[in-house]
Amino acid sequence: MSRVVDRAGTWIGWALFADLLSAFTLTFGYMFSKPVTMQYPDKEKWLPYSRYRGHHFLKRDEEGEIKCVACELCARICPCDCIEVVPYEDEKGNRHPAKFEIDTARCLFCGLCEDACPADAIALGQQYEFSSFSSRDLVIGRDDLLGKPGKAMTGGGVVAARLNTEQDVLVETSEPHGYNWWRNIRRT
Amino acid sequence: MELLFALGLIAIKIALLIAMLLLLPLPLTWLERKIAGHMQQRMGPMRVGWHGLLQPVADGIKLLTKEDHIPAEADRFLFKLAPILALAPPFVVFVAIPFGETVSVLNAEITLYVSNLNVALLFVFAVIGLEVYGVIFGGWAANSKYAVLGSLRTCAQMISYEIPMGFAVIGVVMLAQSMSLVDIVRAQSDLWNIVYQPIGFFVFFVAGLAEAQRIPFDLAEAEGDLGAGFHTEYSGIRFALFMVSEYVIVLLVSVLSVILFFGGWNGILIPLPPLLWFALKVAFFIYVFMWFRFTLPRYRYDQLMAIGWKVLLPLSMANIIITGIAFT
Ligand code: SF4
Ligand code: SF4
Repeated sequence: MSRVVDRAGTWIGWALFADLLSAFTLTFGYMFSKPVTMQYPDKEKWLPYSRYRGHHFLKRDEEGEIKCVACELCARICPCDCIEVVPYEDEKGNRHPAKFEIDTARCLFCGLCEDACPADAIALGQQYEFSSFSSRDLVIGRDDLLGKPGKAMTGGGVVAARLNTEQDVLVETSEPHGYNWWRNIRRT
Repeated sequence: MELLFALGLIAIKIALLIAMLLLLPLPLTWLERKIAGHMQQRMGPMRVGWHGLLQPVADGIKLLTKEDHIPAEADRFLFKLAPILALAPPFVVFVAIPFGETVSVLNAEITLYVSNLNVALLFVFAVIGLEVYGVIFGGWAANSKYAVLGSLRTCAQMISYEIPMGFAVIGVVMLAQSMSLVDIVRAQSDLWNIVYQPIGFFVFFVAGLAEAQRIPFDLAEAEGDLGAGFHTEYSGIRFALFMVSEYVIVLLVSVLSVILFFGGWNGILIPLPPLLWFALKVAFFIYVFMWFRFTLPRYRYDQLMAIGWKVLLPLSMANIIITGIAFT
């Protein structure tokens, strides 16, 4: 009995275009909901989460000395063989890298170097805009790595930004916190 | 002198009409992309001009400067002829379309139509039927399998949807006792035809969607299975002509819906200038066209045929009979 009623209901629905109507109300509702487009790069920019694995950076200790002890463990574990470390010994007899180069063109940003480091000297930071016209420019040396931005502190978000084409392709922003992008996602 | 004045007036009207029809696709493409974007929670064009308003101009310049490619195996004459054949009929049809009664400019009463044919409706359907030649020739001349499939489908689709469309408006003609579009609008000054002819409007609008090759009936250019259908091989300005023709037909079906079923320039409740009422109603129908496009999926080919012959044709005939019984 109930199946007959169900089927009759379906037919009445079809005859009155109930399915079409619900489709049209849905698209009409979407029409006036806020778009989720992030206007990268000239208006807005995404701030990564702290877990984000971007460009590498080298850390310094409290005295400002480079933390890396040039053990070459990161170079060993790297699946892409893209780290090259040449050690030297300073006056106090501590090992440090004389040369520390990462070929980011080959790197797959797996983060294994960060995990392997015994001195907590290398990590993958928040920078993700370093495209280049030449793969040579993507080999980053020790001093550049020391100056790279560290881990992100904010938990994701969208901030106002501005495209600066003079200094290569850099998307600048001055805001530390943005709005939560997920707030515009409709979940029905 | 009198004759010269009349001729000059007609020339001015035609020039205005052509300018309007050629320029109107520009805002319509912008609108279509904006509506598509917002229905999918995107923004649509944003970068060229304020909220992308100049995007159609940029697109037009791009299309004009693009290579006008003719495939090596194509039938060159038909290939060049097809876009013009697709574009001309929708333009010609507008000669018979009234946009209002009269306006007085400099103490002269000027009618808002080029000509008030007494068989305007017949003329409209006869001429718009010719548009299919452009599509068929375009697909055939390109000598490509996608294009031929697209135009084969168009052929079958146009034939099966023109018949219910023609039958659907007979009810309107019966009510107005005239085929002149101006008389049809005048006959609706008290009550719009939609009240008497809901079935007629339904059939007319669905067939109009098919006629304009819009989703859910855009099988001639089904992107998913045919590349781009009949205009797969077209590029540059010839492609643009096909696009303009498509938008003019959308405009035409909207205008016809308004004139035949929604009272033309007769307003209700709010007293606005008749021309504004007319424009508002047409704009609403254009919006409905776009709304349909971004809501519905495309019908399968056999479903399309089944709807045309098994649903719309009987419905339109029943509509004629009901109208005949009820209003005589
Ligand atoms: S992130 Fe992975 S691939 Fe990149 S340098 Fe570190 S270990 Fe090598
Ligand atoms: S970064 Fe860490 S793992 Fe790599 S050489 Fe320096 S101390 Fe060793």
